[in-house]
Amino acid sequence: MTKITLIATFVLTAFSSNAQKVYATKTGQVFFNATGGLEKIAAVNNQTDSKFVGENGQVIFAVLVKGFKFENQLMEDHFNENYMESTKIPKADFKGFITNIKEVNLAKDGTYPVNLDGNLTVHGVTNKVSTTGTMKVAGGVPEMEGAFKIKLKDYNVTGLYIGEKIAPEVTITVKCKYQ
Amino acid sequence: MKKIILSILVLALVGAAGTYYYAFVYSKNRKFDMVNAEAMTIEANALVKAFQENETEANKTYLDKVLLISGSVSATDQTQTGDRTLTLSSDDPFAGVMVTLDSTEAAAINMNDKVTVKGFCKGFLSDVVITGAIIVK
Repeated sequence: MTKITLIATFVLTAFSSNAQKVYATKTGQVFFNATGGLEKIAAVNNQTDSKFVGENGQVIFAVLVKGFKFENQLMEDHFNENYMESTKIPKADFKGFITNIKEVNLAKDGTYPVNLDGNLTVHGVTNKVSTTGTMKVAGGVPEMEGAFKIKLKDYNVTGLYIGEKIAPEVTITVKCKYQ
Repeated sequence: MKKIILSILVLALVGAAGTYYYAFVYSKNRKFDMVNAEAMTIEANALVKAFQENETEANKTYLDKVLLISGSVSATDQTQTGDRTLTLSSDDPFAGVMVTLDSTEAAAINMNDKVTVKGFCKGFLSDVVITGAIIVK
């Protein structure tokens, strides 16, 4: 009986610690594409900080706005100074939940569809966002990927070229490989 | 009169060509000269402490500035695009300075090395984030 109790305790502890594991990365990627005309207006942030809890799907993505890298330095300067005001508002984040985390087996390799619900804060304005994506598990390493669109006016981002060279609706793509 | 109109047209054309060159050719190809850039010197621990104590003030002082930071390497890794990263430790085991090296930086870095890096300060998340960095020593 003692042996059974011991094994049961061990199994429960192992299961519990795995389920409550916090997966994290400091080098996730967030892309955005705001191309509205011929000139490509797109950037990537390779220092995205993200964590999610295996048990309840609580998730956070955080970026430093000045960390977005454009191919064109002048475009990057305009993005920071004239549109995002990143000196005044240096961060953007998404805080929410993977609502179907119970359908993701983090111990088994595969690609699982995920649904995310939460609050996106950009330019100091917070709005509710729902989106879908995938969680790919390979060798115990989860990788989350998803994309969604936001309207710049919903986040009080205004500027001369929005609606012309800059698309009024921006596509944001997130790709994070966790440890 | 014709000469005046012609001169205005030529000036307008030169102006447009210059603007196009500056906005789309020069700005796309210009590379920041990190080696010769002026920098503020600070220890990794002091930088982390400055952000932890007053992030707003620290942003005013360090955000988007070139910093010359000295510290001890507590972790090495790479971004999802393959650029090397290193973390400089601070007195707080949960926060450090996370440095992404410029893709051209080839110097070998090992755990516990004492290094001085030079790069752009992008702000503070879990760590102070530095990008486009080179190893000075």
